[in-house]
Amino acid sequence: MAPNELEAKPKQKVERRDETTRPGTFFQPAVDIFETKDELVLVADMPGVPPDGVDVGLEGDELSIEGRVRSGEYDGLKPLYVEYGVGGYHRRFTLGEMIDRDGIKAQMKNGVLVLRLPKAERARARRIAVDAA
Amino acid sequence: MALVYPDPFAQLQGELERMLDAAFGHAGPSRLYPPVNVFDAGDTYVVKAELPGVAPDTIHIDVEDDTLTLRGERVFSEPSRDAAYHRRERGAGQFRRVVRIPGRLASDEAKAEYRDGVLTVRLPKAKEARPRRVQIEAA
Repeated sequence: MAPNELEAKPKQKVERRDETTRPGTFFQPAVDIFETKDELVLVADMPGVPPDGVDVGLEGDELSIEGRVRSGEYDGLKPLYVEYGVGGYHRRFTLGEMIDRDGIKAQMKNGVLVLRLPKAERARARRIAVDAA
Repeated sequence: MALVYPDPFAQLQGELERMLDAAFGHAGPSRLYPPVNVFDAGDTYVVKAELPGVAPDTIHIDVEDDTLTLRGERVFSEPSRDAAYHRRERGAGQFRRVVRIPGRLASDEAKAEYRDGVLTVRLPKAKEARPRRVQIEAA
């Protein structure tokens, strides 16, 4: 396989910690998380989730993301050959940073969630000048 | 006791899980990218592929005889240089996937749609391969 060729990572099923009234399968979305001076950015692959199917929650230092898929488009389809399961997405993270909750921005496009979490003012890295003795 | 699925989607989810287990078991599913599911919709085969974050106009789709080929590249815009990664699970790179359809196609009638990171290709069956209802003539 060429070095720059993509390899599929099988979807991992997750158990919801909280009981839901809706049954169904949930998977753990693959994520990239990176941090800059001013913000924490989370990018999550959630194929099949429309922009209005995303819920982002922040409780204390626990961030949760959830995505629901449109089920109607599978009406009348009989599976012949299967390589991936279909269902919602769910994942939780514990944040190590103070986040400015009011500044959180979420964008959902082409099945990818981009979540920008600005750091709270007092958590931002500051350059501290060291006085020469 | 029989399992009761009140919801057709939940029923489909269960069926997909069972088929995945039966086909791949402990070895886990195929690593070919993108992963695909093939469905029968009566007159049409429906192929779905998970391609999140791929610009739809950069996906090349070819249908020849009973073979569907998907080609393209998943490109990421890199974050600024002072960014530090905490987690990096998503992949980028090129893909080329060949899928053989288990029946004859009317390949010039194929249609594709990309929505919310999922590519759906509809491949109408060749006329002679479509299901037909046979009327019983009254004697």
